[in-house]
Amino acid sequence: MANPSVFLLMVSGQIESAEFPEFDDIYCKYCFSYGLDWAITSGLDESITQITKKSRDEYQRFVWNFPIDATFKSTSPSGWPQLVIYAYGLDAFGTDVVRGYGVCHIPITPGRHCLRLPMFVPESSSLLQKLTAWFLGRRPEYVNPRVVAQGEGREVTRVRTQGFLTVSFNIIMKDMKKLGYDILPSDVQNPTIPAGVAGTETAKAS
Amino acid sequence: MFHTLKKTAEPSRRVPFGHSTKMAEVHVIGQIVGASGFPDHSLFCKWGIHSGGGWKILSGLREGQTQVDNPQSQDAAYFAHPIDIHFATKGIQGWPRMHFQVWHQDAFGRNELYGYGFVHLPTSPGQHDIDCPTWRPTGTFMESVSQFFLGGGPHLKNPDLIYSGADRYKLQTIAMGKIHLRIGIILRNFDKFGIEC
Repeated sequence: MANPSVFLLMVSGQIESAEFPEFDDIYCKYCFSYGLDWAITSGLDESITQITKKSRDEYQRFVWNFPIDATFKSTSPSGWPQLVIYAYGLDAFGTDVVRGYGVCHIPITPGRHCLRLPMFVPESSSLLQKLTAWFLGRRPEYVNPRVVAQGEGREVTRVRTQGFLTVSFNIIMKDMKKLGYDILPSDVQNPTIPAGVAGTETAKAS
Repeated sequence: MFHTLKKTAEPSRRVPFGHSTKMAEVHVIGQIVGASGFPDHSLFCKWGIHSGGGWKILSGLREGQTQVDNPQSQDAAYFAHPIDIHFATKGIQGWPRMHFQVWHQDAFGRNELYGYGFVHLPTSPGQHDIDCPTWRPTGTFMESVSQFFLGGGPHLKNPDLIYSGADRYKLQTIAMGKIHLRIGIILRNFDKFGIEC
């Protein structure tokens, strides 16, 4: 049996819904941010949802019901893919204004996961910028949305969380155990030692 | 009991993976989600990782500082700060722990300490939702009176106290809020050394 050198991570899921109490007419874009060892083998790296109005009931939810499907391969869990979602809304003049950035790691365990992501926007760094942003109706946004998936350089940003987004995932993995990775407590309790090694050990014991 | 992980067979027989199997590995993948239960929620957090001598970081950041969140609803502050660290270890002693300092930033950009806390990284693989409780030194009665009127408060001179138990008995402290973490642990090669996590 050939020993695999890569493992696969299959992600399916959806951008379900969101709450943005102050806004209406919102759409989302999403992209994946991952390390150098990782590659996407099928599915879309980036996509964009429809524009939705909030429900006219007491929940005031934005529902997209938008599918996410992607398969990744990698040799190491380091640089595990993150889903970056950024929501835009149309203001009274019909221009696009950013309403929130959200980020989460793709869950590392197989099964179904449902996450509620805080959606935040960067704030103006000075009072003057705040004033011009108010006049021009354009608020600050990240040039590259993938910065929200990075840990470095965040101490200089001030943000405001103004909504939440619900996203669900179904995760399947292949060949993690064959590469020696334990992702569940049961993996450690039931070690599957590769055939070659198991053979030599039983030979020794007997 | 296990000072160093002992191999049970010759290395040459044990390399069917195409990788070095000398050391056990731990991946820590997750997020500092946010913080709640503090008197005000315009917060940011400084974090770091402390581990024993046998542990080595192969990739990822050892410490950092989150964004400042000034949330619309004052229930909690959200940092969504990603963590992705790859450890290699020769032993299980000194399992890594994460320590935090929560700071409050007011409208003028002045920072005030709101809490210290630490958690051990979980030893079992899988996804973990962790709440880290925090505390703050109060000092004497007169110090807390002056803090009420003037702001600023006692800090730890030696931040090692956040994650160590020595010399804590001299401190007078008070409870603060909680830090919320979502952390995934992936282990590698622990079962080969006979370690059950």
